[in-house]
Amino acid sequence: MGNLYHNKTAQWLVYTAFFLGLAVIPSFVSDDFLLNQLATYGVYGMLALSISLCWGFGGILNLGQGIAFGLGAYGMAMTMQMQSQTESNPIPPFMLNNSLDQLPWFWEPFSNTAAGLILSIAVPTLFCAIFGGVMFRARVSGPFFAIMTLAMLSAFYTIILDRQPYTGGVNGITPPSPLQLGGFEIDPYSSTAYWIVLAILVTATVVAKLITQSSFGLVTQAIRDDAERVRFLGYSVAGYETAIYTISGAIAAFAGCCLVMLVQYVSPAQLDVGFSLSMVIWAAIGGRLSLLGAMCGAFLIQGAQSYLGDAFLATWLLILGGFFIVVVRFLPNGLASLLESALGLLATKPKTPAAETNGDAKPLPAE
Amino acid sequence: MDLGSLLNALILGLSIASIWLIAALGLTIIYGAAGVINMAHGEFIMLGAYSSYMLQYYLGLPYLLCIPASFVIVGAVGLALERGLIRYLYNRPLDTLLATYGVSLVLMQGVRLIFGSDPKYLAAPEIFSSNISLGFASISSFRVVILLVTALCVLGVWLLFYKTRFGVQVRAVMQNKEMAASFGINSSRVYMMTFALGAGLAGVAGSLFGVLAIVLPTMGASYVVQAFLMVVTGGGSLAGTVVASGVTGELQSIFAFFTNDTFARFVIFVLIVVFLRFRPQGLFAQAGARR
Repeated sequence: MGNLYHNKTAQWLVYTAFFLGLAVIPSFVSDDFLLNQLATYGVYGMLALSISLCWGFGGILNLGQGIAFGLGAYGMAMTMQMQSQTESNPIPPFMLNNSLDQLPWFWEPFSNTAAGLILSIAVPTLFCAIFGGVMFRARVSGPFFAIMTLAMLSAFYTIILDRQPYTGGVNGITPPSPLQLGGFEIDPYSSTAYWIVLAILVTATVVAKLITQSSFGLVTQAIRDDAERVRFLGYSVAGYETAIYTISGAIAAFAGCCLVMLVQYVSPAQLDVGFSLSMVIWAAIGGRLSLLGAMCGAFLIQGAQSYLGDAFLATWLLILGGFFIVVVRFLPNGLASLLESALGLLATKPKTPAAETNGDAKPLPAE
Repeated sequence: MDLGSLLNALILGLSIASIWLIAALGLTIIYGAAGVINMAHGEFIMLGAYSSYMLQYYLGLPYLLCIPASFVIVGAVGLALERGLIRYLYNRPLDTLLATYGVSLVLMQGVRLIFGSDPKYLAAPEIFSSNISLGFASISSFRVVILLVTALCVLGVWLLFYKTRFGVQVRAVMQNKEMAASFGINSSRVYMMTFALGAGLAGVAGSLFGVLAIVLPTMGASYVVQAFLMVVTGGGSLAGTVVASGVTGELQSIFAFFTNDTFARFVIFVLIVVFLRFRPQGLFAQAGARR
């Protein structure tokens, strides 16, 4: 009997239980505001998932996940903004305030909701594919790639801040009405919005999980452990790295769209360096080698920030920073690795029935 | 466009370059010598500004003495950090990046708890607040002070690294740690000293920036990405950082002359990424591999 933590069936069971647990939440929560907030946690979960996929399974530390997230978010905000513009009033108010009397060309496609939604995902994904492809082909890797993503993120942040007539500048874009989809209005404070976010989160997780278990995922994990050796075995390291980076970027783009659907607001803060780094913190604390662990890390940190935040308002960053240092120093694979070693202890005992350990397992296991 | 204002932009570019250089100097030493990506560098700069503020406000120390004092104080903080945390992470470069980011959060919030988040001001002597005009161009004399201090620091670091026994040891450890160790060089002590030196230089930068701008707990965050880009573009060597800062400072000033400051910054970021795509090892690559 091996370590239950590495048992694929057990992993899928725990994932199922975890998402079933998330799915029943709307029937217990009657407070619409709380439900909306819980849905935004789903967005954070997606971001942590994307970081875990890219960093934990691809070995690519990406400090610029805010690029894909922010571009997705801006795309969604533009789509929603254009939905409230009519024939007689085709230009968003903030543009008129900045004395722009014609719709910029790159806003045109967003008048069509379907085209806008497709572009919101396609543009960031394409950016990741091109940027990643160019960088990985030049064999930029490790801390170096992290700095490059940071530079790119800062570049996007400054350009969005600077081009106020086109992007709303520091004020961002505040679409006046919720997203209309096929004649329906998606109220961000309804359980419908929660279900949509959860559905995307589940889909993304299942796809990511299947990727990590596929032979493609095995190669990316081999690259993470020793890129040179994989290159000598004849694999195109750059190709695999680009692919995993792009998939991770696409998940972040979906997260960006969901966030704007929920909060009806986007600003350059979504591309702030600090926010991208906090995504990495979630994944690192939860456990970057486990998709579920990373998601739990996001829920844990963001939940603590919201609910302990009031009591520890002044010291929260101090606690978070200290906790993060301790995790990096003593627990490089995050809290999920604690569970792994705990289950490992059980596995070494002879004749331990698997069913018992399964009952004790908290919903944290993974790869 | 007249020639005078373009010349003015060039002189301003020199000043911008010196600011970028002094911000990146400490990071160059830490990254170049120890291979540590120190995300807390911006917070070291912030600590330098606050220690100058403290010395000036509570002890009434003259400003020019605050600069070396900040060097000592922040250097000591760097030393403590290296002994307490960084030395366990030398063989895990990505983890140093993360751990030092945690440190930066702690330092930022710690300073905010002690001093509050309202801005503080450093007072420089009267003579620094005037403008120096050279007929066609004029520049605030404090910017000249920054330029001079930066030049002095670069000269000092160069002398230390290339003209002393300690410098030889540092460069030996940079090129090959094991080989240097087998020649009797205590590499852990070298790392400790270079980290403290790098932190101290950030302290100097901080006491200069405290006069140039206001002193805030969050002031460090705006310098760290730029400082990193200078170091990486330069390839981690002293000469590389000097040239990279010089070129980008002038370019930023010229672009800002034609467009505006924010857009110039965007162009610089993109240019650096493109440059590093074609020359990932930076301007002047180090001799000897560190991997």
